[in-house]
Amino acid sequence: MPLRLYQLAASIAKETRVIRRDRQALLILFVMPVVFVLIMSLALRDAFSERAGIKFDLLIIDHDGGDVGRRLDEAFRDNIYFRVDTRRTASDGPTDETGVRAALTAGTYKFALWVPARATREARERVRAALGLARAPADREQGVAVRLLADPALRRDHRELVATALERALEAIAAGLITEQFAGFARQLPAGAPRPTPASVTIFDDVRDAAEGADAGPAPTSVQQNAPAWTLFAMFFLVIPLSGTLIKERQEGSLTRLRSMPVPGWVVLGGKVAPYFAINQIQVLLIMLVGIHLLPRLGGDALVIGDAPGGIALLSIAASLAAIGYGLAVASFARTPEQATTFGGISVLILAALGGVLVPKLVMPPALLELSAISPLSWGLDGFLAIFVRGADAAAVLPEVYKLLGFALACFAVAVARFQRGFRRD
Amino acid sequence: MNDTPIVEVTGLSKTYPGAERPAVDGIDLTIPGGGIFGLLGPNGAGKTTFLSMLCGLLAPGGGRLRVLGHDVRHHADRVKRLFGLVPQELALYPTLTGRENLDFFGRLYGLRGRRLKERVERALAIGQLEEFADRRAATYSGGLKRRLNLVIGLIHEPRLLVLDEPTVGIDPQSRRFIHDSLRALNAQGVSIIYTTHYMEEVESLCDHVAIIDHGRIIARGTLGELLGTYQHGAIELRTETPPDADAAEALRALPGVEAVAVDDRLITVTSHKPETTLPALLAALGERGIGVASLSMGTTHLEQVFLNLTGTRLRD
Repeated sequence: MPLRLYQLAASIAKETRVIRRDRQALLILFVMPVVFVLIMSLALRDAFSERAGIKFDLLIIDHDGGDVGRRLDEAFRDNIYFRVDTRRTASDGPTDETGVRAALTAGTYKFALWVPARATREARERVRAALGLARAPADREQGVAVRLLADPALRRDHRELVATALERALEAIAAGLITEQFAGFARQLPAGAPRPTPASVTIFDDVRDAAEGADAGPAPTSVQQNAPAWTLFAMFFLVIPLSGTLIKERQEGSLTRLRSMPVPGWVVLGGKVAPYFAINQIQVLLIMLVGIHLLPRLGGDALVIGDAPGGIALLSIAASLAAIGYGLAVASFARTPEQATTFGGISVLILAALGGVLVPKLVMPPALLELSAISPLSWGLDGFLAIFVRGADAAAVLPEVYKLLGFALACFAVAVARFQRGFRRD
Repeated sequence: MNDTPIVEVTGLSKTYPGAERPAVDGIDLTIPGGGIFGLLGPNGAGKTTFLSMLCGLLAPGGGRLRVLGHDVRHHADRVKRLFGLVPQELALYPTLTGRENLDFFGRLYGLRGRRLKERVERALAIGQLEEFADRRAATYSGGLKRRLNLVIGLIHEPRLLVLDEPTVGIDPQSRRFIHDSLRALNAQGVSIIYTTHYMEEVESLCDHVAIIDHGRIIARGTLGELLGTYQHGAIELRTETPPDADAAEALRALPGVEAVAVDDRLITVTSHKPETTLPALLAALGERGIGVASLSMGTTHLEQVFLNLTGTRLRD
């Protein structure tokens, strides 16, 4: 074996031995994420579940006063998931859009249904036109616009749920109007009269388009959210043992001895980086196995990891390099292991909080969501969720992979520059 | 001792960025091979910077530096194979055993297979660490750690051993053991450069000494030369009662006296004519009824030479 490879192998073997004997590091790197994934996935299962016993406060603004408004009101009052208030006149409370939005922002209501004036009359005319009983309107594609207004901070899947409920209710109302019109028409139609020609006329507008801010997409299960989130957290938490060992080596003189030996810097650094890279990959594998096999046995949902192992590998490699780079950068700034532990630990906690690890991004308000874009844990989590939840392929997560690699590169550059400066000052 | 120098330094200098003064300021020094060379200096004098450049840890700012015939700047790797460094800190991995530490550092020097095994066993034997070899270094006493620290520097059989205060904080037995080991290694042909703050260690171990201060070599030579050059005119007296201020003043007026230092009952007189000063000094004390408990002339303590040359002011 060539000398440099032999030296690198010796460095890796030494570092692996040192880590294996560091119980604290092993607890942080392996036990902590597994415990977190198990606890959080089981504890938050209901919060992510559609089976949850949630009741939404719904405000119906009925400017119509006719059948459409009344039937929508009945449909939602019959639904066990809603508590409904209805305003038909100003005496019931503000019925203008500004007032409704204020009620949503204040959190009094999570949703509001806006039933426009003359909705019943227009719907009936459209039904008649659709049945060929009246001339089709000029705007056949644009139906009666019953609008769904939602609290923008609400989870997407909850918005989706309400939008679907509204859609069903409007379909039922449209069906009722068709039956009613058709029955009336059948009674009046003289025998032998020519049959009317049905026309394609939209009766109610598409609810999803009208549901403001309802950027509905599939929501992750508890384990789909928690498994990658806490894996990334554990990967970045290696900042503590990695920077600790580097600083100790510097403080205790081993680094001086190493530098006095015929060993290039990359061998010394490579000996440190390689075992931690391997640890990160084991963390990913371990947590996936726990999510897939152990969690269902404990009563949780099984982890569904999509169909892009290449994408998962790319994300795992990029996130690991980002975490190691961050650990090296922290080590290059800290003077003592205590500083590295405190700063490294707290900064990873903050990045995790911003990145949707501690608090899932789907419950974050928009302002915080924008801020979360600065966290590398957020990039990694977005990538994993894209694969796990939306079934994205490897190519789709490349932007996240590039961001993580860019972060890693920047951290490595800072660390190398700092270490070299430190060496010159020795 | 042989004629081939192990270290040849010409005009060596180093100024750190932002520093007002150079840490090493044009040092010229030749260290003869085969001996034990003591490098002394107060804190901040430039010892560590000098050693760092010697060991290839720090690039020289200027001048020439050859170790064992090789230019350090151009043949750093070759030079690094020829010497072993024993840093002041315990440069070892506490969670590894003594044997694992030696094995790891041996591999970094490129030692493999049987040769590596033999060298590890030999190093353990030199440090008398055989029975502790498979215990983690964290469980070692301070003395055992120092011994392991020392023998790691020997794993590749260096021709030159550089030791930076290798006996800090250990018991007299361990210190004696390290000294004996160094003498034995030196007898086998290993040249040694030794820095310490313990003057008696230098007196007991080293045949050549250099004193560095403010980045310059301010004295050098064999131990005998240094003591002879810088202390021949010193007279040290311990009196039975402390002399008063008048007595001290009277002593300063004696023939040949350059300086008088009084520390309770200890009087140190520096004279350029000690043979004339001494009888006059004894007479002057006798006249004042001050008895002499002990007396030494041409003091042989390196510490006094060191303090005379570097001053008694506290350093960082």
